[in-house]
Amino acid sequence: MRRLEWGGWVSVAFSGAAMVVGVLIGVGEMVNPGTYTDVRYTWLHLAPAPGPFPNGFSLVVGTLVDPISALMLIVVTVVGFLVMLYSIGYMHQDRGLPRYYAELSLFLTAMSGLVLADNLLEFFVFWELVGVCSYFLIGFYYEKPSAASAAKEAFIVTRVGDIMFLLGIFLYFYNFALAGPAGSGGWAANGFLFVNGNQPYLLGHGLGGNSTLLTVAGIMILGGAAGKSAQFPLHVWLPDAMEGPTTVSALIHAATMVAAGVYLLAVASLFLGFTSTDQLAIVGIGGFTAFFAATMAVVHPDIKRVIAYSTISQLGYMVMAVGAGFAMVGLFHLFTHAFFKALLFLAAGSVIHAVGTQDLFKMGGLRKTMRLTAIAFAVGGLALAGIPPFAGFWSKDDILSAVYSQLGSHPAYWPFFLLAFAAVFLTAYYIFRAWFLAFSGDHPRDPSLGHAHEGPWTMQVPLVLLSALACGAGLLIFVPGFQSLLLSGAGATGIPPVYGTTDLLISAASVALGVSGIALAWVLWGNGRVYALPETSAAQPVRRLLLKRYYFKIGYDWIGAKGVYTIARAADFFDRFVIDGTVHGFERAFALVSNRLRRIQSGVVSDYAAYVVAGLIALFVILLIVAPYVVSRLGGG
Amino acid sequence: MTALPLVGFVALSSALFAVGLFGILTRRNFILVLIAIEIAMNAAILNFVYFGAFSNGTAGLTGQAVAVVLIGFAATEVAVGLAIVLALNRVKGTINVAQANELKL
Repeated sequence: MRRLEWGGWVSVAFSGAAMVVGVLIGVGEMVNPGTYTDVRYTWLHLAPAPGPFPNGFSLVVGTLVDPISALMLIVVTVVGFLVMLYSIGYMHQDRGLPRYYAELSLFLTAMSGLVLADNLLEFFVFWELVGVCSYFLIGFYYEKPSAASAAKEAFIVTRVGDIMFLLGIFLYFYNFALAGPAGSGGWAANGFLFVNGNQPYLLGHGLGGNSTLLTVAGIMILGGAAGKSAQFPLHVWLPDAMEGPTTVSALIHAATMVAAGVYLLAVASLFLGFTSTDQLAIVGIGGFTAFFAATMAVVHPDIKRVIAYSTISQLGYMVMAVGAGFAMVGLFHLFTHAFFKALLFLAAGSVIHAVGTQDLFKMGGLRKTMRLTAIAFAVGGLALAGIPPFAGFWSKDDILSAVYSQLGSHPAYWPFFLLAFAAVFLTAYYIFRAWFLAFSGDHPRDPSLGHAHEGPWTMQVPLVLLSALACGAGLLIFVPGFQSLLLSGAGATGIPPVYGTTDLLISAASVALGVSGIALAWVLWGNGRVYALPETSAAQPVRRLLLKRYYFKIGYDWIGAKGVYTIARAADFFDRFVIDGTVHGFERAFALVSNRLRRIQSGVVSDYAAYVVAGLIALFVILLIVAPYVVSRLGGG
Repeated sequence: MTALPLVGFVALSSALFAVGLFGILTRRNFILVLIAIEIAMNAAILNFVYFGAFSNGTAGLTGQAVAVVLIGFAATEVAVGLAIVLALNRVKGTINVAQANELKL
């Protein structure tokens, strides 16, 4: 083992310690559900002054442990530790390991900070930090032009969301600076805290006043979440983010960072509040994305991108749940999804590590040589497809049931509910299509692939542990402590309880859809053979549309290349000809005039004397004739 | 001497100044320019004398005294002027002011 790799073990050790602490905090929250522990330090206080913050303005750094952050902290630290351990085996041939472990550790720090932030500003700071870590790690193989451009794309697209988030923050600041419990001095003076004791700081304190504004602020928050969680129409960056190492895809672009958008929506719905228009927008974006992303996963040949589309789709479910008012249901799916999606990615990483390609059509027959990986991928797939008793069933079912329960009072949710429901079938189909393509059959379809083998123990242990979690994490719902953790997350905000909404009809229907999706995948791909779709087939245009990702990427590139470039050209023209033209015009005018005036400098003394006399005469004329005339016309003295 | 009005004297000195100025602007011979300057200057000195005389004693003899001092100044100025004429003649070989045209870029 090279010396550099010992550095990796340092990261493993510390992320392991973080996992222990994180799980302890989670268990503590389960034992005493509904406790809010807020430790904070006022970092900066600005004195009261006229303006939007008449009571002053505080910047606070603090940690808040509440049910939702405890839940999220478990996800972040557990998946973080397992991915870190897996990295030791997966990354051992790579260069730039110090950079890798440093960036991954920074990411874990930032993500924990985001989860534990106790006020909106601190939240935003860590939000940006995880974004920049994502940028670094997508561009880890920066020598590859595709990786460098994917990193840039991710950064720019999420930036659009971040700007909206920031605008949302401004709206909240400006309008609710003075809101809050009586006598507290207001939200701004206390550092924009999420909670005050066990109560949300803002919710229920003067937020009903300006609902148009609150709607706009909520839409802005949704924009920020859509950027980070790759929701339509800001979804384009996530599939390209698969240019990073598979471990990064597993940790950041599946389990934790992309879930930060959902977490933001949950925090906003629990502590800030959404109007019903906001809720409809969130349900709409989430439900539509769940279906929309799933369709693109159906045809993709790249194993990682199939899982990436699946991530977008699953995040859509969570967003929909939060939008419908069930923040804890969404977070429960986030919790289970983190485990089975990290498992899918790490299993895919194990395959890629073994065969050196991501093209599903080149693989095949791998179940014979990679038994553990095949089982792990299948467990992840079953969890994703929502087959009981795997983790995904409980949480996805909860979401569908929860949204279904709202359809009576919100008929506008119907189309999005149906889209999300249809996506269950697509999900089961595409993930098992990937499984059959990679693992069934007799041998790899591309004979040049070397002899596949399982990775070292550092790669196998996380697969086993995550498989166990993907099987069992959903069953935690029956553990009283966990159940009360989820129930207490809603606190006093009136968010409906997480469990007990499950509708048997919905469950049966979604399981039936999942099973039929798997069956279809088995019928089409089960024997490990690949049939080329005839060029004349009516399905070809659809397939092309899906492979081209509905032309969104091309469209955005066009907007970038044509739209923004045209604006930039216009700005350049304005700068060059109007601004510079004015400056240069003055310069030229002065040069012209002074060139003419230079000629009167004849050097002849009597000429100068004549100028003096002319000046004198002009002075007399002004003083004795013009000035008295002007004064008399003005009527002055 | 009270019969003559002050305006007549001022008109006289203005006319004298105009003559001097005309000489300064039109003569090309440096000596003639100097003489014209003297004429213009004496027009100014005359002003001091009239105004001193017409002040009904409030100015005392100040006007006349300044006139005498200025006559002295005029003499020194002529000395400087003639020195310039000599220097110009030495450098350029002429005393035509139009030739003294190096006061430019």
